[in-house]
Amino acid sequence: MFLITEQQGVLGLIATEFLLELKSILRDSQIQVEENESHPLGNSGRVTVYPQTEEEIANVLKYADNGGKKVTIVGGGTKRGFGGLTECADILLSLADYKGVVEHTVGDMTLTVKSGTPFQQLQEYLAQYNQTIALDPAWPEYATIGGVIAANDSGPKRFRYGSARDSVIGMRVVYPNGTIIRSGGKVVKNVAGYDMNKLFIGSMGTLGVIAEVTLKLRPLPKYESLILLSFPEGNIEEIRAFAVRLLDSMMEPTSLELLSPSLSERLTGKRTYTLAIGFEDVESSVHYQEDFVKRIQPSKTSMAILPLKEARVFWQQFYTIGPNGRQSGDGQEIEAALKIGVVNLDVLQVIKESHILQEAANVAIEAHGGLGHGLCQVYVKGTGEDVVAVIERFRQFVTPLGGYVIVKHLPFALRQKVDVWGEKPSYFFLLEGIKAKIDPNHTLNHRRFVGGI
Amino acid sequence: MAVKDVQIKDKHIENLAKIVGGAQSILYKKEDLLAYDCDGFTIHRHLPKAVVFPKSTEEVAQIVKYCHENDLPFLARGAGTGLSGGAIPLNGEVVISLTKMKRLLSVDLENRRAVVEPGFVNLKLTHSISDKGYYYAPDPSSQYCCTIGGNVAENAGGAHCLKYGVTTNHILGMEVVLPNGEIIEISTNGVLDPPGYDLLGLLTGSEGTLGIVTKITVRILKNPEAKQTVLAYFDKVSDASQAVSDIISAGIVPAALEMMDKTAIEGVEAAAFPVGHPKDIEALLLIEVDGISAGIDEQIDEILKVCRRRNVREVKVAQDEKERERWWANRKTGFGAMGAISPDYLVQDGVIPRSKLPEVLERIKQISEKYGLRIANIFHAGDGNLHPLVLFDARKPGETEKALAAGSECLQVCADVGGSITGEHGVGIEKREEMRFIFTDEEIIAQTNIRDVFNPKNLLNAGKLFPTPGRCVEVKRNEKTK
Ligand SMILES: Cc1cc2nc3c(=O)[nH]c(=O)nc-3n(C[C@H](O)[C@H](O)[C@H](O)COP(=O)(O)OP(=O)(O)OC[C@H]3O[C@@H](n4cnc5c(N)ncnc54)[C@H](O)[C@@H]3O)c2cc1C
Ligand SMILES: Cc1cc2nc3c(=O)[nH]c(=O)nc-3n(C[C@H](O)[C@H](O)[C@H](O)COP(=O)(O)OP(=O)(O)OC[C@H]3O[C@@H](n4cnc5c(N)ncnc54)[C@H](O)[C@@H]3O)c2cc1C
Repeated sequence: MFLITEQQGVLGLIATEFLLELKSILRDSQIQVEENESHPLGNSGRVTVYPQTEEEIANVLKYADNGGKKVTIVGGGTKRGFGGLTECADILLSLADYKGVVEHTVGDMTLTVKSGTPFQQLQEYLAQYNQTIALDPAWPEYATIGGVIAANDSGPKRFRYGSARDSVIGMRVVYPNGTIIRSGGKVVKNVAGYDMNKLFIGSMGTLGVIAEVTLKLRPLPKYESLILLSFPEGNIEEIRAFAVRLLDSMMEPTSLELLSPSLSERLTGKRTYTLAIGFEDVESSVHYQEDFVKRIQPSKTSMAILPLKEARVFWQQFYTIGPNGRQSGDGQEIEAALKIGVVNLDVLQVIKESHILQEAANVAIEAHGGLGHGLCQVYVKGTGEDVVAVIERFRQFVTPLGGYVIVKHLPFALRQKVDVWGEKPSYFFLLEGIKAKIDPNHTLNHRRFVGGI
Repeated sequence: MAVKDVQIKDKHIENLAKIVGGAQSILYKKEDLLAYDCDGFTIHRHLPKAVVFPKSTEEVAQIVKYCHENDLPFLARGAGTGLSGGAIPLNGEVVISLTKMKRLLSVDLENRRAVVEPGFVNLKLTHSISDKGYYYAPDPSSQYCCTIGGNVAENAGGAHCLKYGVTTNHILGMEVVLPNGEIIEISTNGVLDPPGYDLLGLLTGSEGTLGIVTKITVRILKNPEAKQTVLAYFDKVSDASQAVSDIISAGIVPAALEMMDKTAIEGVEAAAFPVGHPKDIEALLLIEVDGISAGIDEQIDEILKVCRRRNVREVKVAQDEKERERWWANRKTGFGAMGAISPDYLVQDGVIPRSKLPEVLERIKQISEKYGLRIANIFHAGDGNLHPLVLFDARKPGETEKALAAGSECLQVCADVGGSITGEHGVGIEKREEMRFIFTDEEIIAQTNIRDVFNPKNLLNAGKLFPTPGRCVEVKRNEKTK
């Protein structure tokens, strides 16, 4: 409690003692005192620590948990603007120095890795073995595997490959009291005990620090392509009819993502609703599926087929369209990123609404959503007031559809005004109960999650 | 109601009968209860207090609330095909049978989802949508009779889970009656990633210890355009195992990749669906690939090449759907087929890293010799999920215990090579103590802490899934943290 007093003297004194204590756990080079604790996105720490071993992670947590200190966890920091009502915690625990492959059993197609490893680095390593982690997160260069899993985010390819919850088979998690809990294992099929992996995936670091992750891998697809099908007339019913026909066929697209006209303009140069239809398989199968799409191509649409490399270049650009929590985002314009979940085909309504709102409200909106999985990503730019109003409009729009809006990125100041997670679910007491069992002192990522957990 | 009966004087039974609408929806006489004293794991038995047959979520909620308020232990039961004893009323539970809640509530093909009641039988879902070209992927061998509620509780798998994932990968939402009778709904409309911890993931595979599932929203899939099935006979188990690894390493993701050894083949050939497998081979592989027709031939060619490189004696591709179905019927009835060559059998369910297959099969052989009991292996080789079937004769004194010990030792081997003690059948009663092969006390407590959030009075399916407390000091057989 002393820490929050405004009296410089007391604060200075405590801080010194605090630092000395940390220095008994870590080397000086692993501790960095922040000159400026305020960051427009919040979620910072008075002191940043860089543990290099699991034991060091455990010691930092034990120290914090015993001493009533608050800890914020950071991987690559691309999600710094995602949730959190704490501007500055006592300790910012960074996993930047906790990285590397622990075990890769090529024949078993499993990989164990330390959580601070950047996602792209992992994919590059695995590509040498023609293997891949079947996830497609944003900002792969910066996002860490631990962060991707803690945030359980996914991209367009979720339609075919699922999300972190479908790829993670085991973890080592450091609990706030310093105990290390293994969940799952190293085999691809396992029902021994509760599926505790699921608890930590998407928990936003509010339960424990994910130290190690074991994933099941997939073979790299032998060939891929991407069809961009644009609908200049902008008739949503026509897009729906096409999508339903494709979905009801036996084709197996990896993605069926609808881009709003504004986003399409940025990525393809055409300001039209555009479907990004990906195929990954052996080459003959991919061409066969392209032919099918050509055969059912609606009139008055235009089609481009991006083979192999071109498809990859498109996706690379695609994964960096949203705001990145690593940039401070100062300046006049506010950026927000929303994740909107609805029943699959209602994505059409959400993307259409984003187009309408962009015309009506004084903001720029780019949006995309998967017609095979129901998740939309919506990026809004404008003044704080307008952005907040638009978030509210989206909530009003999707609530009757049975959907939700989560604000994935918003400056700290605005997070005080908007409940980024939306209404608490009716079973909130269970979530609270789980948090209380694992982190009774609210040491980790305090108030980062749903309902202030 | 039959007032003369001694037990009907029990006020609890009377009150429970009222909730479910009368005597026709409750069993309480000893002779009726006998059918509910065990499930597919027949080694332990215990009579329930009563069996109730609710017809709606509200009735389930009222029963649960009643039990909660009166401190009566209770548990859910589907078809009772569980192989680890999850539905056995160890503590004289009130058994809540979900078999009358068996409706298919809705199908939404465009959004690829269906909503079912928990007692709906797995295979019926596929049958209800197959005319439109859709199916439900998880396919336990018991699918013709097991319930989707039971599948959720056990996180059931099946032969085709190698490519398509197990039950948990296909559950989009559920309605659950919590152990105090409260009803909650989690994403029953099937919207992904509802904000909050992943309770769907936690509940799936929780073996009926966290709540009673009363409605399930599942993902359904479009049938693959093409399917090809290969049968390969090997003279050496090691060659068959190597072929499994080679197929996966070649970048192929088969829909199914199953193996049977010599003893298993003897069993299936003596049972109801013989295929005419040669009796003198050491192992067979049943391999299926599916997907876009244009890519299938290439994959089949690759598989045939791998098999030949690994000294296959004979390898053939199913010529038509009839042949394919015959091969699968032979495989899917494999457990029961053991009845043709042994009075009793015990199914185990360990998982190992695929690459350890030759080593582990060798060690299982040694266990078989040590105990003087035959062990047949029928299993999901592609994901390393072994099913050693220990053959024994319960009438011979001491043989049941020997079989149990041999089974447990097989699981120890799986744990030793970095695997798991169960891949799809669950821990139940059977493998409670074996949980210690893979988890530390702290890790087990971390799990029971979660149970306490949902089931604080531990009236729901107590005594399952976790080792008995207080035995922590006893032989910690495997003190592994890495
Ligand atoms: C605007 C925006 C849009 C995005 N869009 C997409 C998208 O479309 N598709 C997609 O797949 N992904 C998307 N992402 C997600 C992103 O690519 C990663 O999933 C995410 O950033 C995680 O990586 P990180 O290391 O940067 O996490 P961080 O920002 O460092 O952390 C994310 C959260 O996880 C916690 N955390 C981090 N590491 C650990 C750990 N080891 N143990 C416990 N908790 C931990 C943090 O405390 C924080 O709560 C988006 C991100 C942003 C910011
Ligand atoms: C011949 C044979 C072959 C098998 N093959 C396979 C296989 O290939 N793959 C596989 O995974 N399994 C297999 N099994 C095991 C078994 O069929 C599965 O575990 C199945 O999921 C059990 O379903 P059930 O309806 O019979 O459940 P039950 O046996 O009735 O119950 C199992 C557990 O689930 C709980 N439960 C049941 N319904 C609910 C509910 N609505 N809410 C909460 N808890 C509930 C019970 O309390 C119990 O703990 C096989 C079994 C047999 C006999």
